[in-house]
Amino acid sequence: MSPVSATYWGIPGYAIFWVLFAIAAVLFAQRLYFLFRLMRLGKAENRFDNLGQRIKAMLVEVIPQWCNLKTVTRKDIAGIGHALLFWGFSLFLISYIIFIGLAGGFGASSAIEGTNFEVVYFSILDVAGVLVTIALIMAAVRRYIIRPERLEASAEAGIILILVFVLMALNVAVVGFGYSAHDINASWPPLGSALAGYLSGSGLSQGTLEAVYQAMWWLHYLVIIGFMVYIPRSKHLHILVSPLNILFRPLGHKVVLKPIPLEEAEYFGAAKIEDFTWKDLLDLYSCAVCGRCHASCPAQLSGKSLSPREVVLNLKEHLLETGPGLLAGKAEVPPESKAKTMIGDVVTEEEIWACTTCGACQEVCPVSIEHIRKIIELRRNLVLSQNKMPESAQLMLRNLQSRGNPWAGVQSLRLRGDWTSGLDVKILAEGDKARTLFWVGCTGALVERNVEATLAMARVLKAAGVNFAVLGDAETCCGDPARRAGYEFQFQMMAEQNIATFKSHGIKEIVATCPHCYNTIKNEYPSYGGDFKVVHYTQLIADLIRRGKLKLTKELNSILTYHDPCYLGRYNGVYQEPRRALQAIPGANFKEMERSKNNSFCCGGGGGLMWIEEQPGTTKINQMRTEDALKTGADTVVTACPYCLQMFEESIEHKDIKDSLKVKDLVELVEAAMKQP
Amino acid sequence: MNIIVCVKQVLDPEIPPAKFKIDPATKKVIPPPGVPPVISVFDERAVEAACRLKDKQGGKITVISLGAAQAAEVVKHTIAMGTDEGFVLQDEAFEDLDSFGIAYVLGKAIEKIGAYDLVLCGRQSADWGNGQVGSILAEIMGIPVVTLACDIEAADKKLKVKRIVKDGYEVLEAPMPSLITASSELGLPRLPAGMRIMIAARTQVPVWKAADIGAQGPELDKAKAHTEVTGLSVPSRKTECEMISGDSPGQAAENLAAKLAKLL
Repeated sequence: MSPVSATYWGIPGYAIFWVLFAIAAVLFAQRLYFLFRLMRLGKAENRFDNLGQRIKAMLVEVIPQWCNLKTVTRKDIAGIGHALLFWGFSLFLISYIIFIGLAGGFGASSAIEGTNFEVVYFSILDVAGVLVTIALIMAAVRRYIIRPERLEASAEAGIILILVFVLMALNVAVVGFGYSAHDINASWPPLGSALAGYLSGSGLSQGTLEAVYQAMWWLHYLVIIGFMVYIPRSKHLHILVSPLNILFRPLGHKVVLKPIPLEEAEYFGAAKIEDFTWKDLLDLYSCAVCGRCHASCPAQLSGKSLSPREVVLNLKEHLLETGPGLLAGKAEVPPESKAKTMIGDVVTEEEIWACTTCGACQEVCPVSIEHIRKIIELRRNLVLSQNKMPESAQLMLRNLQSRGNPWAGVQSLRLRGDWTSGLDVKILAEGDKARTLFWVGCTGALVERNVEATLAMARVLKAAGVNFAVLGDAETCCGDPARRAGYEFQFQMMAEQNIATFKSHGIKEIVATCPHCYNTIKNEYPSYGGDFKVVHYTQLIADLIRRGKLKLTKELNSILTYHDPCYLGRYNGVYQEPRRALQAIPGANFKEMERSKNNSFCCGGGGGLMWIEEQPGTTKINQMRTEDALKTGADTVVTACPYCLQMFEESIEHKDIKDSLKVKDLVELVEAAMKQP
Repeated sequence: MNIIVCVKQVLDPEIPPAKFKIDPATKKVIPPPGVPPVISVFDERAVEAACRLKDKQGGKITVISLGAAQAAEVVKHTIAMGTDEGFVLQDEAFEDLDSFGIAYVLGKAIEKIGAYDLVLCGRQSADWGNGQVGSILAEIMGIPVVTLACDIEAADKKLKVKRIVKDGYEVLEAPMPSLITASSELGLPRLPAGMRIMIAARTQVPVWKAADIGAQGPELDKAKAHTEVTGLSVPSRKTECEMISGDSPGQAAENLAAKLAKLL
């Protein structure tokens, strides 16, 4: 007998049940519809391609909780707690549909009561309830006692912990009081029947037990439908939305920057919340404020004002504030004095320019939020429409625009083609054809220290018998610094120009030394009609070693550690090849840094920040990374990116530790390990 | 408000000094390979000044550049910054002009453009740096000239100009039309942005020949030929480093001050 079939104050239980449900359902739907309409304020973007693959990928990520478990480290085991909560709560959710919805609401209790199915499921719930409770305690201890930097001790989080605990307790209480009131003697489910046994022996009258049982049952129901109303109004909205966000995440490359359509517009980039795409707005709903991005952001960790978590939260708050007015057709827009400007009041320029686009935030985000492209959209508006940017950024962009490279003037005493002098390399003249192009990149061609690596690369390629050509002084920037700094049109022009150059020489394969060039040409040029086989030199070298084309025979007695460049590792998943190449060096003692591979810590030079001044009064990101390298006890830190190389050089110089730590490009070590003829 | 800006394409001043080469026979700089020429920095400030005036008052900005056919690139650069149209003045007869000859040709082109309220030039060119063309041009056109402007305001057919002087600035008023030369203190020129980059890239810049503007024949010959280049060399740079010492940091500073006083 379900309490729903009873009558209360002359009102049938069913009426109470369904009226309460209807109220909750309306409140639930109303809020979701409101959020949906707000999301639709965003610009169009097609994320419905390959839906089958998307659904599969989402299920594989969400159901085994890989999205959370992937972030588990020895220091941070919260992901395990979340997985327990997710699996446990899913079981409870199903039980609510069966034992409260079907059995209570639809009067199917007689068909379920006392069945083996019920006993088994209740028993499972008992176990799940204990696991969930353990997870809750873990969560409470972490949030309110340990207090890691990434979490805030918010009331919202407390409410949900208490509510879930109440649900777990009520689950046992309902079974206990129900069994004892209805004289059911069972040994399963373990907790419920134990409680029932205790109550039966407590001397409470059958009537009291029945009354308490009914009260407990209705309370249980109230808490559940209360949940329905509360969830979409709190950060726990992520329970509903984040699987969708994972469904609509980028399928291939993780950082998808939208090209700006080539038409005259009032302004460019994101000046207002509705300038983002609907997916960007869905991102905001998905955030569960776990703070992993906050705790992994190099800008944040080095004391800058930027926190990816705060950017997302502030944008969400801004959307909820301004959205109703926008939906009402500006009628309710607050008076000018109160109106906030998105750039400035919601996200500051200082924050916008502190991002190195290293992708650490996106890597650890369990709900696949795309932080970086929001920052880039904001930069686009500042650069393309407001002409506002740090002076150092403007100088770099001016150089790109008028000189085709970011390193002009005092920063370089070289000319583009200088490095080729004295080397027997094929420089493509107009009309020349070549299959494989060695793309040197601005930094590799112009900056003294990086030129050493470029020369080593050319010599190694020749020694391995690779047939390649270079563009010499006809090479220009790939456009990466322009794009990351928001100077989109310049990027598009450079991309188109470079693609035309490649095609005119019949290039099929491009070997890039700079991971930024590599990423741009490989992942971003295809949108502009440039489909080439692009390899990073570390991949090529690892392959040449494997095929025996490069023989590393000279002993290098050295302790090495490898710094994963963000645009090679996180952006393109190239982790193994550089390590394989290094481990092939005789006598090399290889040590990993604590933050490595996909958790690698930025050198501070990405996203245009190679040229943009770091916020004064904060720690330099490259110095933090150098500390990481020093902790391994290595005498040489190896990297495979010209920016990282410079960043380490600068930091080693600054710390005055030249005697204990050197920085080398991977190719320099490979060359050193090749037996000279 | 109609503004005409004269701009010059120069060898990139950011080229490392060691890369500068001179052909002693022709007394000309040999441009290093792979370095695109750029707009003269002072002229770019003149364009910036024009764009700021246009931002406030509206109007039309016309750019002219005397030089090689490739000067179209700097005209396009100004269009990307916000100017409306531009012309390149290129003719064999215009080669190797001195400041007088240049001013004469520019004046002829401005005559052809027609109505204007303001003519802007850079204070000097970033390559030769004579700093004469602006003033000679104003003389030829018979309009007032204000040099070394760091700020220009326009109101009621009058121009209010902040002009850089040795220890600050003075504020002058000039009628329209006038010629003003822009100084570096005007501030960093804007970064070409938005669609203007695309518009500029697609723009075809017309080339005016000597005959198109009527700057030819004996009149041109008479206008130029006031100066002759007798020699051209890369200045030799020498760096000498002397460590100033002292018993205490304070003493060292005093010694340094004394040394500097002697040098000045």
